[in-house]
Amino acid sequence: MRKVSWTLRIVTLLSLVIILGPIAIVVLVSFSPSDFFAFPPRGLSLRWFHEFFRIPSMRAAYLLSLEVALTASVLAAVLGTLAALFLARRRGAVVGLLNALFLSPLVFPTIIIGVALLLFFRRVGMPILPGLILAHALIGTPYCIRLVLTSLQAFDVSLEEAGQSLGASPVRTFFLITLPSIRPGLLSGWLFAFIVSFGELNTALFLTGPGVTTLPIEIFAYLQFQGSQLVIAAASTLQICLVIILVVTIERLVGLSSMVR
Amino acid sequence: MEWLLRFIRTRWAWALVLPPLLFFLAFFVGPLLYLFFVSLHDVSQAEMYGTRLTMENYVRIAGDPFYHFIIRRTLTAGLAVSGLSLLIGYPVALSMVRMSPSRRSLLLMVLLFPLMVSNVIRAYGWIAILGRRGVVNKVLGDVGLIQAPLPLMYSLETVVVGLLTILLPYMIICLLNALLTVDRNLEEAAQALGAGPARTFLHVTLPLSTPGIASGLLLVFLLTLSAYVTVQLLGGAQSKMLVSLVYDSVMTFVWPRAAALAFVLLAISLAITTLMLKGIRPQRVQGKG
Repeated sequence: MRKVSWTLRIVTLLSLVIILGPIAIVVLVSFSPSDFFAFPPRGLSLRWFHEFFRIPSMRAAYLLSLEVALTASVLAAVLGTLAALFLARRRGAVVGLLNALFLSPLVFPTIIIGVALLLFFRRVGMPILPGLILAHALIGTPYCIRLVLTSLQAFDVSLEEAGQSLGASPVRTFFLITLPSIRPGLLSGWLFAFIVSFGELNTALFLTGPGVTTLPIEIFAYLQFQGSQLVIAAASTLQICLVIILVVTIERLVGLSSMVR
Repeated sequence: MEWLLRFIRTRWAWALVLPPLLFFLAFFVGPLLYLFFVSLHDVSQAEMYGTRLTMENYVRIAGDPFYHFIIRRTLTAGLAVSGLSLLIGYPVALSMVRMSPSRRSLLLMVLLFPLMVSNVIRAYGWIAILGRRGVVNKVLGDVGLIQAPLPLMYSLETVVVGLLTILLPYMIICLLNALLTVDRNLEEAAQALGAGPARTFLHVTLPLSTPGIASGLLLVFLLTLSAYVTVQLLGGAQSKMLVSLVYDSVMTFVWPRAAALAFVLLAISLAITTLMLKGIRPQRVQGKG
């Protein structure tokens, strides 16, 4: 029995190494002072971070990613909350169908969503930036729905009924009673949609265009056409930092574990 | 009066769902239907697609050995990644179940964090490790074990390793969720009745965790199918998958073929989903079937 539990521990440790190792290496490499990776590193430097902000296309991509993630996540949070409020209240075949529809982008091959939206946007003449934002909002909405639904499960609907029977309009009831109780789920859903949009590849691959590129796509293009330069490691480290800040915030708000139930 | 109240409440609920519903119809269902429509047309030089309705895009894919080869390779990679992640993920999930809740949620946070880092960065991490100037070649070269850098990149194996590490957390989380719902009393009952740890595992724990196995395998397999960037960065031109062909067709503006390939990819995902659910029958655990 002891032997078994030691084997389990070793496998767990090795898994963590192969999962986190590549990310750790990227962060380590980004502080390298030399042109290429050296091991052991010869000191630390912020050279590649300066370099990152000196390259206009990188800087623009970082800002655009922030802009897209911010707008798309707000849109996703609004749509997700509306859908979750509905799904939590009603039962039946139609509701089950809607539930499946709203959550399907989670498992649906996103590359197909990317191609479909590309063709559709071309047909209707959608400009690049709004198209990108709409696609990212679509990918982010299911996460918001799930997190708001988790909050709603702990919510007592009779509180709402009490509010309405005391003469409050549905809108007033929502802002005074429902919204405060689902706030943790809503906030973490919003942050999660932000993170998802900030790292999104499969739809952005098709929906970005000349001059309108998100950071992951810029990194991808750089890796393909300029080779692996350490400025990419700096760009990656900047993204990882942002993710860490947001993850800690979500953990404080609701506890990350509620995300996976 | 009661009827009126209920009516207002019902309509109110439908008003709630209208914006997200319209959004999903306009930017998800609609574009997919349009994509299918495009896939049924011939290729045109001047327009996005020709005027003739035809099945020839699908017929070509079905009859071309090159596409068969790529589809087989895609399926092989998907099976390898999902199978290996099950083998490695199961022990991890088992040891997490036995941890104290606070340690478990700490580890869960550590596993969730990489999922939020963009896949392009995680693939780049593997380039930094396995590339010509990567960690492995650098260390081996410095020690003097190798004269020239080892070619560790651009193979199907590299793609499988990369995708495995990227998707493993999903598998672990699915398995953990299933294992946490397994009633410990059942395991103890089996042991009290004389079953050894191995038998208890094979006949009690493992069957009861099938919902987690099914959802983990499915999630990992489906995510493998659309992982274009990882395949491209780690596999290069020699290890193209179905998703690479979709991308190439889009970039060369052969829209109807790109659309048809996308639907072939979708058909494969649906077929795999059905097969796995039929084969593993996770619904047994809930007593349905």
